[in-house]
Amino acid sequence: MNPAGWTRRQQIERGVSAAALVLVLVWPATGFSTYWAHAILTETFLFGIAAASLIFLSAYGGMVSLGQTALFGIAGVILGNLATKGGPGGTSKGLHLGWDPTVALVLAIVLTTAIGVLLGAVAARSAGIYFLMITLTYSVIATYTLGQVTKISGFSGIGGINRYTPGWIGNILDHPNRLYYIGLGVALGVYVLIRYVIRTPFGLALQGVRDDPVRMSSLGYNVALHRTLAFGFAAFVASLAGILYVWWSGQIAPGNVDLPQTIDLLVMAVIGGLVRIEGAWIGAFVFILMQNYITSSTHVPWLGFGGTLFGGSFNTIIGIIFLVIVLVSPDGLLGLWDRFLTPGGRIRWRRRRQAAATEPAGLTPAG
Amino acid sequence: MFVYVLFVATVPKTFGVGNWRTTNFGSAVQDPSSFLKIVLDSLTFAAALFIVASGFALIFGLMRIVNMAHGSFYLLAGYIAYEVQQGMTGQGFSLQSSEVNTWEWIVPLVVAAPCIAVVGFVVQQAFLRWNQGQELRQALITIAVSVIVADQIIAHFPRNTSEGQRFGGNAVDLTWPGWTDRFVDLHIGGVQYSLARLVMLGIGVAVGVGLWLWLYRTKTGMVIRAGVDDRQMTAALGINIQRTFAIAFVVGSALAALGAVVWASQSNISSGQDGQWLLNSLVVVIVGGMGSIFGAAAGAILFAFVSNFGASYLPTTGTDCCTQYSSILTFVLIALVLAFRPRGLFGRSA
Amino acid sequence: MRRPKLRSWKTAAVMVVASAAIAVWASGSMAASNAKVVKVAIMTDCKGAFAFGYDYDIGGAQGAFAQFAHGVTKSHAKPSAGMTGIRVGDTQIKIVGYGCGNDTVPLAITETKRLMEKLNADVEIGPLSGDEAVATANYAKAHPTKTFIIGTAGSQDPTMQIAPKNMFRYYGDGAQWNAGIGEIAYKKLGWRKAAIIMDDYSFGWTSAAGMIADFCAVGGDIVKRVFPPLNTTDYSSWVRQLPPPNQVDGYFSTVGGTGTSAMLKAFEQAYGKLDPKQWIGNLFFGFLGADKVVAPKLVGAYVGGFGNMPGVHTPRADAYRAFMSKLYPKLPNDDSFVYNYYVGAKALIQGLQKSGGAVGAKLQASLPRSLVSPFQISNGGVVKLDSRRQAIQDQYQLQLVKKPDGSVGPTVIAFIPNVDQSFGGLFKPTSPPPGRTQPPCQKVKTPWQGKIKAVVNGKVTNQVIK
Repeated sequence: MNPAGWTRRQQIERGVSAAALVLVLVWPATGFSTYWAHAILTETFLFGIAAASLIFLSAYGGMVSLGQTALFGIAGVILGNLATKGGPGGTSKGLHLGWDPTVALVLAIVLTTAIGVLLGAVAARSAGIYFLMITLTYSVIATYTLGQVTKISGFSGIGGINRYTPGWIGNILDHPNRLYYIGLGVALGVYVLIRYVIRTPFGLALQGVRDDPVRMSSLGYNVALHRTLAFGFAAFVASLAGILYVWWSGQIAPGNVDLPQTIDLLVMAVIGGLVRIEGAWIGAFVFILMQNYITSSTHVPWLGFGGTLFGGSFNTIIGIIFLVIVLVSPDGLLGLWDRFLTPGGRIRWRRRRQAAATEPAGLTPAG
Repeated sequence: MFVYVLFVATVPKTFGVGNWRTTNFGSAVQDPSSFLKIVLDSLTFAAALFIVASGFALIFGLMRIVNMAHGSFYLLAGYIAYEVQQGMTGQGFSLQSSEVNTWEWIVPLVVAAPCIAVVGFVVQQAFLRWNQGQELRQALITIAVSVIVADQIIAHFPRNTSEGQRFGGNAVDLTWPGWTDRFVDLHIGGVQYSLARLVMLGIGVAVGVGLWLWLYRTKTGMVIRAGVDDRQMTAALGINIQRTFAIAFVVGSALAALGAVVWASQSNISSGQDGQWLLNSLVVVIVGGMGSIFGAAAGAILFAFVSNFGASYLPTTGTDCCTQYSSILTFVLIALVLAFRPRGLFGRSA
Repeated sequence: MRRPKLRSWKTAAVMVVASAAIAVWASGSMAASNAKVVKVAIMTDCKGAFAFGYDYDIGGAQGAFAQFAHGVTKSHAKPSAGMTGIRVGDTQIKIVGYGCGNDTVPLAITETKRLMEKLNADVEIGPLSGDEAVATANYAKAHPTKTFIIGTAGSQDPTMQIAPKNMFRYYGDGAQWNAGIGEIAYKKLGWRKAAIIMDDYSFGWTSAAGMIADFCAVGGDIVKRVFPPLNTTDYSSWVRQLPPPNQVDGYFSTVGGTGTSAMLKAFEQAYGKLDPKQWIGNLFFGFLGADKVVAPKLVGAYVGGFGNMPGVHTPRADAYRAFMSKLYPKLPNDDSFVYNYYVGAKALIQGLQKSGGAVGAKLQASLPRSLVSPFQISNGGVVKLDSRRQAIQDQYQLQLVKKPDGSVGPTVIAFIPNVDQSFGGLFKPTSPPPGRTQPPCQKVKTPWQGKIKAVVNGKVTNQVIK
């Protein structure tokens, strides 16, 4: 059966995705490795959402943003401050407003999106490396703010946030499967939403702005406005990831938004591939898998030297993997998949290499 | 946008207790000696920033490569210089200035800079030469290199120190030569200022002058400037642009090494500073405007002044505010500068 | 033509699912539990500022296992190679993993989850650093069946403000380590007005809180507090905020790790040579490499303690040191990173003996509320826990002296008995945790005021410091 004239690549992809989806849906019920369900897969869902916001901006907006981690953290901090209570039995830091968790949830999303729109407006006139730089500055400001403004966070951050989930979700500490399914649901929702947005007039205009801002502006489109709104949308997506994260780990601290974490999110997105949204979850999955199985030398004895590489640790290994991926396939794993699975892919890849060799100035994803 | 710097410096301040106008020091009019000292602190810090950032600016301006490994080169240079200095004086722990003579400071520099230059050369030839123009990819490659190098540094440095402190990227420091350990009487407002910091300023100025001479008075420099302006045309004119790229990358990395030796003597060197100094260089170069040495100098001065003046002159209401927020202020101002002048203060449109 | 295509992608999908399921089932089944085996995880840092603590902490904990639970170490050179054969009665103790944090909260959470959920540990000994311990305390509150014995973190919150019922600490916190140093400054150095410079983060504040509480209790006045942020590159503008040496009697410092030497260098460049009589630092002046970097400039300066007693010899302490030196010759035998994990593991062994191998709430009830600890002198060498499971521990204040071999190091000069976490009521569960203005300079008498005994030549005398 070949419905709607799918290509072979699309068939394989959709088949594998369907199978994976089924597997992921029934996982908790099978009882296989609850750690995989509650840690690895849940993390994949939520970090994938954050990476998707980055890939959305990069693939469809032409803007590589290092500020997604900051927005992720801001959402978590807002939720932490609004929802938690202080005093004995409560958490030790934060504003302890103790509002209704559903209200807090909605406010966290709304406020983060608003902040995203504001930050996007500030950054909208910049492109390429300058945009990267401004968003990096956001990340640094978020780290310092969360660390030093002790009324809202402080260095140990806010803890125990996962005790204050909305009533309609219930207690996720006793029922971690709920968070698993919520994460899965939100991830699917985000995926569908992004696929929808890029087909709307706004999305198409955004892609036009990505390809040729000058022409778009001469056609009467407000380039800065499109970029700002795109950044706001990405902030919305990142806020969802932030909220899922604080429900999963219970804590938000400056360590969640600092430079290494920002780089980690970029690594996840790049490993998956910066040009396709699916890459977000694939990249997140690969990264988290590595983080769990290669954290210290005793875990990888077969790498020799007692599991370390030239005396280094997990960071050396992930650095090398990252380097190899970027050298071999700038579009990440999905780029490799794309290239080798379709004859068209191979030709497109070769053409892209030729085009890249004569590319004019400007920071765009390869091809 | 120098207005920001001037604005901070001329806000009238009074000395009181606990309102938003009190600061740590009196205003420039009331307390000129403190003001002068802070100005000098900022200038000298700007010199150190300039040395490191100029290397980054050279690479970025000519090759449009955002060398995210610049901070790792800095860190590696600092540790290599430490090992050499310890090897020469043979003590295994921190030295008093009196124990270090000029030669024992110069030799670590002369050893560290070429080492880093070689590392830079290898990185450039192996990973960056063949994908010119793919800026994001090059940035990602240098990120990967920086992660690997930083991790290897933690695994192998410092070596020449006490047993419990070996490896792990622990903090160690270099020492200035003994003759810098005195104060110089500036004859203005009775201010005595540290000679070591003035030496640092001198080195920064020398680097600036040297770079200017190289870029504007030599043939290679001319090619570099042409390449910054229009890479494709320069290549089309038959000039060996690859050789020029390699030279620029090597010089840029060596400048990072010089900056590391200077600042490690002034302060210390430890793991984690690679990220710090990469960020410093990025901010200085972007704010000042890429591709121009003058831009790097301007960016360094702005950054140093805002940081130091923020730390010194932000209001101190009670004891919980606000000087510690100077870092936040610095970066907010940076973001604003970039928002209003996206190409940096002195950048030219590409 | 169509059929083969249909089969090919369906087959591929099925194979993917099958192989994934097998892989996960295989890894999942490795976590199957065994009756009468207690799983212990040791959480420490192997990256970041405290990376060197990895082998120290593991060595300390394993030292107790070797001494009291028949543990056999795999390598005398590297504790992290592992240990086997640990048993208490007929309960086997299995070390399921070593956590590798980097002094930040997110990695602490990820590692703790990995140890407690993936590897199914019943007990965690750790973590190492203050912020990690706050995060772990919040995690502990959500997982009451697991037991946590804090490794060597110095933050106050885990046992004061958060204080989960399944978290224990058998040594003093960061403020307790500095108990008495403020009084020594007042009485021995004659300081009346002092300024304090501290790292602008939780450990800096906690350590400073100990100094301030003591100094103000005796009548001293803190005239200025300066808090440079972590990762400050240029300390010059911060040291300039300190009053010049002729306007204060002295400076307290809790600037740590990577900033200590930078800050002191900046001070020298602003105000001239350091005067040891005007500087009191916290443990960062005497340990963690500072003895090589900072100490040579400050010979004779007093230094806040770390819970250990370099230079003091009691039979119990010497027996401990000899044992550790024999087991792990490469570890310093007087270091608190090692010691704090040692006493934690020792407590665990006693708890398991009493509970008969049971974990969970039974173990938490069985963990000792008083423990014989090598570096304790009061109460016959017994450290007692308070109502929030925090130790009341003797503290030792230090001075930097020149040793016979030319190096400079800390040695004990004062003994403060039975220091409790609340400092006599100054710190309460309802008071905010130590911060920039917390605690304020108040004259709240400490329980040990006027009772600090001088230590001369490694012997605790009966002479009280006046």
